[in-house]
Amino acid sequence: MKRRKVDLAEAPVTFAKGVDDRFQAATPLRALLNKVFPDHWSFLLGEIALFSFIVLLLSGVFLTLFFDPSMKEIAYDGSYLGLRGTEMSAAYASSLHLSFEVRGGLFMRQMHHWAALLFMASIIVHMARVFFTGAYRKPREINWVIGILLFLLGFFAGFTGYSLPDDGLSGTGLRIASAIMLTLPVIGTWLSAAIFGGEFPGEFIIGRFYIAHVLLIPGILLGLIAAHLGIVFKQKHTQWPGPMRTNTNVVGERMFPRYAMKQGGFFMAVFGVIALMAGLFQINPIWLFGPYRASEVSSASQPDFYVMFMDGLVRLMPNWQIYIPIGNGYSIPPMFWPAVVGLGALFTLPMAWPWLEARKLKDKRTHHLLERPRDNPERVGIGMMAFTFFMVATISGANDVIADKFHISLNAMTWAGRIGLLLLPPIAYYISVRICLGLQQHDRQVLAHGVETGIIKRLPNGQFVEVHQPLGPVDDHGHPVPLEYAGWVVPKKMNRLGALAPAVKGFFYPVEKPAETPVSPAVGGPAKKEEIKSGR
Amino acid sequence: MTTVHHAGEAGTPPVDVNDPHLSRFDIVKEGLRRDDIEIVTYESQFHGQNSKAEKRVVRNIALLFALSGILTLAFVVFYIVWPWEFELGHTMSDYYTPILGITLGLGLLALGFGILAWAKKLLPHELSIQQRHDQPSPDDERLITGQTAMFVADELGVQRRPLLKGAIALGLAPVGVAIGAPILGGLIENPHKGDLPMMFTTGFNPGNNNGQLVRLTREDGSPIRPEDVSTGGQMTVYPGIPGGATNHWADSPTLLIHLRADDAAETRKNADADSNGRNVGSMYGNFVAYSKICTHAGCPASLYEQQTNRLLCPCHQSQFLITDNAQPVFGPATRRLPMLPLTVDEEGFFVAASDFKDTVGPDFWERP
Amino acid sequence: MTSDTPARRRARVFSRRRTAPSRARRRLGAAVRMIAALALAGGVYTAFTPGAFADDNVQLSAAAQEGKALFDNSCISCHGRDGQGVEDRGPSLIGVGSASVEFQVSTGRMPMTRQEAQAEEKAPQFDEDQTKQIAQYIQELGGGPEIPEGSLVEDLEANPDALARGGELFRINCTSCHGFGGGGGALSSGKFAPALHDPTAREIYAAMLSGPQNMPVFGDNQLSPDEKRAIITYIQTQLQEDKDPGGLFNLGRYGPSTEGVAIFLVGIVLLVFTSLWIAGKS
Repeated sequence: MKRRKVDLAEAPVTFAKGVDDRFQAATPLRALLNKVFPDHWSFLLGEIALFSFIVLLLSGVFLTLFFDPSMKEIAYDGSYLGLRGTEMSAAYASSLHLSFEVRGGLFMRQMHHWAALLFMASIIVHMARVFFTGAYRKPREINWVIGILLFLLGFFAGFTGYSLPDDGLSGTGLRIASAIMLTLPVIGTWLSAAIFGGEFPGEFIIGRFYIAHVLLIPGILLGLIAAHLGIVFKQKHTQWPGPMRTNTNVVGERMFPRYAMKQGGFFMAVFGVIALMAGLFQINPIWLFGPYRASEVSSASQPDFYVMFMDGLVRLMPNWQIYIPIGNGYSIPPMFWPAVVGLGALFTLPMAWPWLEARKLKDKRTHHLLERPRDNPERVGIGMMAFTFFMVATISGANDVIADKFHISLNAMTWAGRIGLLLLPPIAYYISVRICLGLQQHDRQVLAHGVETGIIKRLPNGQFVEVHQPLGPVDDHGHPVPLEYAGWVVPKKMNRLGALAPAVKGFFYPVEKPAETPVSPAVGGPAKKEEIKSGR
Repeated sequence: MTTVHHAGEAGTPPVDVNDPHLSRFDIVKEGLRRDDIEIVTYESQFHGQNSKAEKRVVRNIALLFALSGILTLAFVVFYIVWPWEFELGHTMSDYYTPILGITLGLGLLALGFGILAWAKKLLPHELSIQQRHDQPSPDDERLITGQTAMFVADELGVQRRPLLKGAIALGLAPVGVAIGAPILGGLIENPHKGDLPMMFTTGFNPGNNNGQLVRLTREDGSPIRPEDVSTGGQMTVYPGIPGGATNHWADSPTLLIHLRADDAAETRKNADADSNGRNVGSMYGNFVAYSKICTHAGCPASLYEQQTNRLLCPCHQSQFLITDNAQPVFGPATRRLPMLPLTVDEEGFFVAASDFKDTVGPDFWERP
Repeated sequence: MTSDTPARRRARVFSRRRTAPSRARRRLGAAVRMIAALALAGGVYTAFTPGAFADDNVQLSAAAQEGKALFDNSCISCHGRDGQGVEDRGPSLIGVGSASVEFQVSTGRMPMTRQEAQAEEKAPQFDEDQTKQIAQYIQELGGGPEIPEGSLVEDLEANPDALARGGELFRINCTSCHGFGGGGGALSSGKFAPALHDPTAREIYAAMLSGPQNMPVFGDNQLSPDEKRAIITYIQTQLQEDKDPGGLFNLGRYGPSTEGVAIFLVGIVLLVFTSLWIAGKS
């Protein structure tokens, strides 16, 4: 028998040729390997969300293997003595089973929940970064809209997931959701009846939420995340201004190997942090909540933090009911405004923001360079205003816990929230605009006069002045020639100019560590360190 | 120290990649040139091969990988052997989840930081510039695409054949509706159907009990006598019908309160002075019963303050004054809690004299 | 604030107004005159109705005698002579029973030091024996609910069903104020339901029996002693012994609010520092 020789060394080459014959992959693959990404810590925040989404998918698949989305009433007979014999839904019983009788099940459940919280938290942080640096401007408006849709879908994914175990807390949440649907004018009762299959809670809601939670919402999320990343890839990432960086190029590292390795390492870190939190911090101890009963409730009933702003708005809303005296009379309950109109506005206004801003500034150019927040005080002001509004609403969503633990009157907390919701955002606007302007002014000042050296000189007339180190060339009188602001960090300390020993690094070194090289501002004339350092 | 400045600059002439004299890096540079990328800086982080610093970094990374291996192995071992089944009292199983988290979490962190350190500390420093090429398509391309699209419309000839336009609108639109209809149609439930429409009646309606007055019961179905409720106490009661304490009757849970004599007198005075007359005569002795379902969002408004006579809802902090027809006195609730008319049957157990006279539960559009 | 409770009632329950010293002195003077007048009137009264108080005093047991001495020292200013209560200061203690006294005094809630929305738990002023003596005195004055003899906790070995039963009763009757995790909760206008992390079985039992402050009363007619024991067993086994199979930290069991704080303080902070390190210059 003749044996064909297999040359192992040639195998990858043969394989690669085969692939390229069929898919013509060589050129696009090279372009991918060579693609350049800018490097800045704030560009990694969105990755936290992406990676926690992957953890969510992995842990979620595990959970589906054991969860039973049924509302059939059964008597619990598992190992948790505190509930044995209690009548409960099969969904709750299987959640308990998952927590106590499945090897590592509780760990997986906690990992899933912490990953969900991290997903939403990192979306918020990432969104703040994108907003305050103006990264949403043309041509990236669509991606900004997709990002907000991702938050909205995450919100619903989180809420449906919170409801699935059918424990006391999730049932309370469902009850409020049903009440929110009821507030809709005209169709409210019909909508609630359609979703719950009749009167609240009915027998279908867990099954319906289950299919939404494990198939519909994650499917759409997956599609939108793919679109989000695809657009980032196609449009190439934004970058900070700086030396060599222009609106038409990308300055950074090629994707392979360094950038890709950083991504892989960061994924492991995100996964690790989630696992660590899942092991150390107990989350959502459903066995204490008991099965959902319409007559039972707990003090400090709250939604997860990313729904809390809505709950807070509902708590703060005064009891203004609109009554329409036609026929038997119709009413619009007060909850309609914060929970339906408010939620809608809170999602649609930010979506429209990129176009609103462009229209106001009559700005039709494309922007690939980010703006430092201080360079657009108006935007920072509006962003801080929205953020303050969100924070007051969120804190009000936990106002009973705060009232209890810090010994404040609950009623006072509600009033403080009502007043704060109206009063604090404008104050935040004013303060942040002033801070931005102040920072701008200081930048210009340093560019015009140079860096403070800390050296005090006494003039012949007895006057004391501080010596400034010019950043650029000086004129004939030794006065610095004013420099143009380049949109990036202006060095403001002598050690950033190289005139002092480098700043002491690390958390644990004493700040007073003596400088190793003496101060010598006069040596070699003005330092030619005009180059703007990238602020890494 | 390998330092390359301005390699593969865009605009430099192409090289023959089959030239045997070219190094691998030269070929890479040709690729960069074709992708319009310029490497500005490319330098090793270490002075010379096998420097001391490099060895130390390599050692640390290897250590991190080894640590990761040990920890994740420990995770697998603990996952299998640690006593994990839940038991009452303090047992080893209490530490199962923490141990899993610590081993897996630290293992993955060690792996992650190992990879990160490799990328950060070992690989050469690099600064590359790529041109974006984000100009819009040339005008002639736009024109051609636009004309092509219009040509497609011409080919279909919808413009010239108005009958087809109408046919699409009238004939095919129902197909779209038909696809959506079963999904929506299957879900639709009439919330106002039946003799006892769900939005307006509760389990205390005699219609649910063959016309008999419905008893107030505990969660286990046992009926309640007036002397079963402590003065200054409250009891959650359910309609005494089959399944009355289950979630099937989610609007029915009611709070039966035994007031102290002077509070009861005040409550009675206010109930009898009720402007719409619904609460007149609904108390029984010093007992009053209010729906437990908050009129705001439907949570059980059951935080009973027996001295200040308030009911507080823990979800949105609406507060209701028990002595004044459960009028809302604080928070987002607009409507008072409905009062259940109480009386006692011939055996001395509490019964509801009728269903609630106000609509129970959160507000909605059609509520008169 | 919309604290629209009838002022009279609120005053009767809580109020012991603090006033400027001069006014206090005036009040004191008035009180002295008042007491003198009352003593005179009382003297005349006792003279004509022999026995009313004298008999009661004679019947007090030795422990109650001690308790009366303590009462007359520390409690009489608000609760009045023989626990009759003082208008606008403290309620009458006739009929509250020893359970109530034990709860209020052993947790340090009574005697109150200052006027608050509600009496707070603090270090008790009387030791166990003294507390029992005062309780005995109040019990002999007007009767009322008492903590029964014997164990207040179910033996789970013998009766394992009691735990789940206790949990069920706990969720129906207690969680709306004290929370699923027993972390306590806020009530209206600065009042609150305390956390259940440290009270003893006796304290919980006494609280259910007597309904201290704004807590509803759960007398023996409503929750049988067995049911009370089941609830106490649940609280002690599941909430106090802190069985947290899900981790080393339970974040105070305040629900999603502390979880939200944790994800930012731990998760986001750790990962932002990581990303700072990743993108930082090496």
